[in-house]
Amino acid sequence: MPQPTMLAVQEISKSFGALGALAGVSFSVRPREVFSVIGPNGAGKSTLFNVIAGLHTPTAGRVMFQGEEITGLPPAVINRRRLAKTFQITNIFPGISVLDNVRVAAQSRLAVSGHLASLWRRPAVDDRVMELLGAFGLEHRRDELAQNLSHGEQRYLEICLALATDPTLLLLDEPTAGMTPGETKEATALIRRIALARSLTVLLIEHDMGVVMGISDRIAVLHFGQKIAEGPPDVIRNDPQVIDAYLGGADD
Amino acid sequence: MAVVFAALAALPLTPWMSKYYMLLAFDALLFGAVAMSLDLLMGYTGLVSFGHAAFFGLGAYSTAVLLERGVLSIWLCLGLAIVVVTAYALMVSYFATSRRGIYFALLTLIFAEVVYTFFRYTQTFGGSDGIQGLPSFQLLPGLAVDTPVRIYYLVLAYLLLAYVACRVLVGSHFGQVLVAIRENEDRVRFLGYNVQRYKMGVCLISAVLTGLAGALYPGRAAYATPDLLHWSISGEFIIMVMIGGLGTLAGPILGGAFFILLQEKVSSYVQWYSIVVGLVLVLIVLFIPRGLLGFRHAFRRRAGQQAH
Repeated sequence: MPQPTMLAVQEISKSFGALGALAGVSFSVRPREVFSVIGPNGAGKSTLFNVIAGLHTPTAGRVMFQGEEITGLPPAVINRRRLAKTFQITNIFPGISVLDNVRVAAQSRLAVSGHLASLWRRPAVDDRVMELLGAFGLEHRRDELAQNLSHGEQRYLEICLALATDPTLLLLDEPTAGMTPGETKEATALIRRIALARSLTVLLIEHDMGVVMGISDRIAVLHFGQKIAEGPPDVIRNDPQVIDAYLGGADD
Repeated sequence: MAVVFAALAALPLTPWMSKYYMLLAFDALLFGAVAMSLDLLMGYTGLVSFGHAAFFGLGAYSTAVLLERGVLSIWLCLGLAIVVVTAYALMVSYFATSRRGIYFALLTLIFAEVVYTFFRYTQTFGGSDGIQGLPSFQLLPGLAVDTPVRIYYLVLAYLLLAYVACRVLVGSHFGQVLVAIRENEDRVRFLGYNVQRYKMGVCLISAVLTGLAGALYPGRAAYATPDLLHWSISGEFIIMVMIGGLGTLAGPILGGAFFILLQEKVSSYVQWYSIVVGLVLVLIVLFIPRGLLGFRHAFRRRAGQQAH
């Protein structure tokens, strides 16, 4: 059944003390599209993600996910509603194997999770986990400690963790942060491919315009906590306000 | 591990095991079991409890109170210990797990000090003398656990059961989430897990296992005193886990046994034994920081088990 909107962000404001990070930001993400939020550093992108994913409660406004309000719910509850998030700074389980990293994530969706039987049972999720690792070219690293992976591999593991919780909406916070241009191109193509294959809706944060233009269906531009433009890549590319924000803010 | 348990089971048959050594072996295994229970928190979940003496002591007093009143069934003693320790641990863990890091440790310590103060400075359960001169347990009516060999086998059986339970637990789904919490608590929340619930769960399990060990203690010592609840005992538990090796289960058992034997042997020669014990512990921490049974070693073995 088609749904009009997957995620609706309605008039979200967030301030930290006197500092206003977001001011009345609204947009809607449609099912199965790749929607990007871009903006210079400090524009409020990560704050926006943290509000959606439940880390921060907004000062004003609502977040609707699949028609239900999720504003201010704890991260664990939001994740269980199939909204998963990756982190800009790699946020994995460093001291356990790559396989165990993804296993833990995959098990959180099983019926046994949170029940008494989970004290003695370990449900088999390895097929699903290996399939995920395979998609990111990490299968030969399965027994390696996560902390020993290269930066690029850790970025992929980060995405694997989120995908293993079987989301319908995936929030990617600068997934290519710290990658070389070559890696970035590869990663971007991979994300697009996986989103298509799994019929995922993707909400992407980037400050690198080049990454976004290639994979987005629609783009919203944040500048000093406000949305200054929204539309398909071609429109955004030529929007005078956007050009101004990027060039004007380029010295940060 | 099976070989070790078989050797321990054969120990009383050896000719040099006097009554003194049987009781010393009892202590070594009992405190090994406690250290193993604490390892669930420290080694697997990354939570340091400074209040495990309270669980141990409450278990001991549960037994003492029943034995004093002529209720000799060990099953009733253990049952009461489970009820008392669970109730107390639920309260402590609810408050302690709502805070993190040092605050968790402090809250467990503060609650335990309240319990200590109650037993030490009120006359409800004998004040500083505790409850003394207790009779032996009975496994069944008429079958008393009244010799050093019997009490030794009792603690060995307990250690074996507790070890199997802990081993199953750390290999389970629940155990994997605990390790993930140790590695990166914040990320676990974003994978859809209620972290506090898991922390409370493991606190309860660790507390009950420690309380059961405590409940066996009066069966050997014939007393329960407030000294068992003192914070320095909690500190010793932590040391046992550290010297044995965090996150290995078997390591802390070894650490507990090692600590008890070292303390007993050195103190039988010199008055200032705690200096010697302290020095040995410092040397262990400095030169084998991963403990007598290291972290790496256990990890490799686990990886090997998964391979086949």
